[in-house]
Amino acid sequence: MTRWLRLAAFLVVAGALLLVAGQIRRFGEPRLAEMDLYFNRYSQDEVAANNAVTAIVFDYRGYDTLGEATVLFAAVVGVALILRKVKK
Amino acid sequence: MTVWAILQVLVLVFTVVSAALAVWLRDLLAAALALGAVGLFLSLAFYLLLAPDVAIAQAGIGAALTTAIFILAIRKTRRREEEE
Amino acid sequence: MSVVVRTIARMLVPVGLVFGAYVIMHGHLTPGGGFQGGAVAASALALILVSFSAKELKPVKGLLSALESTGGVAFVVFAFLGIGFTFFANAIAGMGGLFGQPVDYGPNPGYLNTSGTLPLMNWAVGLKVLAGLGSVVLLFALFGEGEDDR
Repeated sequence: MTRWLRLAAFLVVAGALLLVAGQIRRFGEPRLAEMDLYFNRYSQDEVAANNAVTAIVFDYRGYDTLGEATVLFAAVVGVALILRKVKK
Repeated sequence: MTVWAILQVLVLVFTVVSAALAVWLRDLLAAALALGAVGLFLSLAFYLLLAPDVAIAQAGIGAALTTAIFILAIRKTRRREEEE
Repeated sequence: MSVVVRTIARMLVPVGLVFGAYVIMHGHLTPGGGFQGGAVAASALALILVSFSAKELKPVKGLLSALESTGGVAFVVFAFLGIGFTFFANAIAGMGGLFGQPVDYGPNPGYLNTSGTLPLMNWAVGLKVLAGLGSVVLLFALFGEGEDDR
């Protein structure tokens, strides 16, 4: 019984994923490309960086990087808190 | 089918095979290494999808650091999975 | 670990550290950046921890903690450099001087002293990620090692 249930769940999930994969957009053709074109054209002039990805990550979207650094800091603090020396 | 598409399919097949190996293996150290292979093949897939930034991050975190943490955990516990 | 693992680790740890430093340093020119380079360098630290004993890196723990704090503070300080315009504005890009050279539009080889605050932020985030992930793995390795004072 459980086996057939598992098989049915697998088939449903795999079928849904395959159904969606048939309708996916072609690679490199996003629906809205204005922002991409803007970054491609102006990131070298405005940020003076050849790597547009780093220009986006550290300049245009700097707040995201700040949040990522905060998340990493919170994770390290959590690990240090859990694995601390236990007072007898 | 260009060479690029064939490589992509091969890398994804290797990813799934490594994930199945990680479930199937009884030796936990070998299973951890198979999980590291999953991260490595995923990083190759990212590289083939023209995202080298994500590929470097995945190779550093997914393939190296998680494997190191698993190996350290296995060293502190036991190596074989118990039979049920 | 066995002698094979130790020998390979002795050869690969400097390579990993240098490649991590390269990825951080050329973050504004080639693929990569602070996070990726820090992760690569931290995986070299993890290789030391896996192949040798955890006691090898125990004196570095205070240094890693200080590096993490320094990286985080330096990142926010470099973000505050552009506070006259907006937070995180690239204040010294294109102003001349160190890291201030402009870049032409189109494909070009790229020079290290461009991009304003981006290389400095890359170094800050790289040191922070290296110290953070390295200290996580180090704490895992030091856990339950007997009479340790973590």
